[in-house]
Amino acid sequence: MSPYLVVLAAGVASYACRLSMVALGHRTGTPALLERAAPFVVPVTFAAVAAGGVVAGTGSAAPVASRSVAVAVAVVAVRRTGRTHAAVAAGMPTLWALNALLTGG
Amino acid sequence: MAPWLAGMGLYALVVGVSGATSGVPGPAAWLTGPTIYSGGAQMAAVDLIDSGAAPAVVLVSVLAINARLIVYSGAMARNWAGRPRWWRALAAYLLVDPSFAVGLDRYGQAADGARDGGGRARADDRDGAHAHYLGGAVALWLVWLCALTAGAIVGPRLPAGLHLEFVIPLFLTGEVVRRAATPASVLGAAASAVVAVAGLAVPLRLGLLVSIVAGLAVALAASREGR
Repeated sequence: MSPYLVVLAAGVASYACRLSMVALGHRTGTPALLERAAPFVVPVTFAAVAAGGVVAGTGSAAPVASRSVAVAVAVVAVRRTGRTHAAVAAGMPTLWALNALLTGG
Repeated sequence: MAPWLAGMGLYALVVGVSGATSGVPGPAAWLTGPTIYSGGAQMAAVDLIDSGAAPAVVLVSVLAINARLIVYSGAMARNWAGRPRWWRALAAYLLVDPSFAVGLDRYGQAADGARDGGGRARADDRDGAHAHYLGGAVALWLVWLCALTAGAIVGPRLPAGLHLEFVIPLFLTGEVVRRAATPASVLGAAASAVVAVAGLAVPLRLGLLVSIVAGLAVALAASREGR
């Protein structure tokens, strides 16, 4: 199958996910379980995606260590400032510095 | 909003680079932007197509990664009830992690205002929240496509040593720290992170879906015990 068709089919599937409960919920009402879960969806989902990003795709222990420390620094920065972008502002320089120290590059 | 735009721009740049350096035809890799419109799912799709995976495998992978959008859709459904069909169709197309977070914040403020104000103020605030969501979501979409295009054109020349791909985990971590304000949400986020790491080896990235379900179960159980 052409890669263009595969991408288009994947796009339709993604849109179906986005539209599903909006289309159904308008007629049937949002399930009570979803309403209770809504406040937790963002922190839970983002924690899962972030944790995977910290650990995945690294071929050696050094980058994992750098990433872990950078995340720890980012957590402290956000707790102190209350601002999300402090995570990037503090975490990326930490990552670069530790990578330079641990891998020499 | 500005941090989300910056985060989305950098992420899209990375996604554009990964697509441009893969073996997938450039236009097909770029097309994942306006169609799939989800960084992780886009990169997975390009990677799988590049490796010769069956179309069914690509579809199941994209569905698994984007299954969280069903939960987002459910959370937004009550806010969008009563809007015109075209509006809900467009709003749903623009639903991604950042637009969901930005929209949910504003709808929450509108609900708070409705408790304090009268009927007219309530209607105005709801209209304002709808405009805020749609305006923000369109801005995020435009930034995503522009940065994706830029990444596809100039990305391969950026030094890999910058590790720009790590901006997203950091940014998401910042959002978790800021938003996990209750013990239940902290426990849910921690459980989700642990299961996500343990499930990295699960094929098709289904571990991500399992970790989200586990985290939500822990958070819901903890919130019940906390009452």
